[in-house]
Amino acid sequence: LNGQSPPGKPDIIKCRSFEKVTFSCWWKPGSDGGLPTNYSLLYRKENDPKVYECPDYETSGPNSCYFDKAHTSFWIFYHIYVNATNALGSNVSDEESVDTTYIVQPYPPINVSLTVESGRYDLLAKWLPPAMADVQSGWLTLKYEVRLKEEKEQEWEAHSVGNQLKLRLYGLIPGGNYVVQVRCKPDSGHWSEWSPESYVQIPGGGKKTD
Amino acid sequence: LPICPDGGTNCQMSTGALFDRAVKLSHYIHSLSSEMFNEFDERFTPSRRFLAKSVMSCHTSSLNTPEDKEQAQQIQHEDLLNLVMRVLRSWNDPLLHMVAEVQDIREAPDTILWKAVEIEEQTKRLLEGMEKIVGRIHPFDLENDVNSLWSGPPAAQSADENSRLFAFYNLLHCLRRDSHKIDNYLKLLKCRLIHESNC
Repeated sequence: LNGQSPPGKPDIIKCRSFEKVTFSCWWKPGSDGGLPTNYSLLYRKENDPKVYECPDYETSGPNSCYFDKAHTSFWIFYHIYVNATNALGSNVSDEESVDTTYIVQPYPPINVSLTVESGRYDLLAKWLPPAMADVQSGWLTLKYEVRLKEEKEQEWEAHSVGNQLKLRLYGLIPGGNYVVQVRCKPDSGHWSEWSPESYVQIPGGGKKTD
Repeated sequence: LPICPDGGTNCQMSTGALFDRAVKLSHYIHSLSSEMFNEFDERFTPSRRFLAKSVMSCHTSSLNTPEDKEQAQQIQHEDLLNLVMRVLRSWNDPLLHMVAEVQDIREAPDTILWKAVEIEEQTKRLLEGMEKIVGRIHPFDLENDVNSLWSGPPAAQSADENSRLFAFYNLLHCLRRDSHKIDNYLKLLKCRLIHESNC
């Protein structure tokens, strides 16, 4: 024929909830067989035989489905698959079983601030939870990790700080240029990305010799 | 008797301190349950994709527990406490069965057995602590109806090893899920009752 064929098999890449209220899933299309191809995401919910279609294909970008809070429940399985269809036929992805409780990946912490304690070589790092994370009501509980290194070094020094929103770092090198990042993790789910790098210089140019 | 700060013996722990302990315990129980589930999953289930689809519903699924943030925030705290107690109590027998069953599973690593025993013990302690909290905030008695939620090991006793492994997998899945519910609800209750929803 003229090189046209039914679509290739799509593949569900991942599902994530960024604030444990809504969630999204993304898929990678297979080949389109040289023809206009339409994709639909279908799902079943645990203990419910009905098949539903994705409520929103736009909000989370191309090849995605966004489940708003009205369509999102926790502590249940969503059994999800993607159907690709063109004029010559269709193809369906493997089914992914997603327990929404365990796909939470928050955004990074925000407003990271670094303050050098006057007259000393200690540093106070402070931050805030990610914007949309409701930690105040207790619905989402986050723990944090801070990492620090001298700019010219490769190795990071990591500090787990539980649910604190600040950390005091002692005995830094006078005159040293440091970079700090913070990330967070819910009690069940994935670490966020690291916050953007924050920089600070410790006063007192006299460098300690090893 | 608890040792009081001033050395006396007639002091009482604040409700806030009781909640702190309860949340620490519920967090610990859930993380152990998660580790045990993942360990068992990696070791014993040949193809997780298959098993996730055919997981049977949990013995607590008939309890009408909140499934999203809005439901969890709209429910009265007495009702949420009531649900936490019912879920906790409904796990008495299944946890005893779990500890016995893991000892019959060939090649089950000691770490899974240790976690099963630890979870069973810590859940009892959590239940005791919660009974103290409930006794102060909203005394009610539920002794009878929750123990019947669990109808005993499904296909475990007589069936082949694969069915027993799958029944055990399902029990661990439900334990991970319910321990997370309890942990989440207790964190909500603590923020609401002790910190006026400003944790």
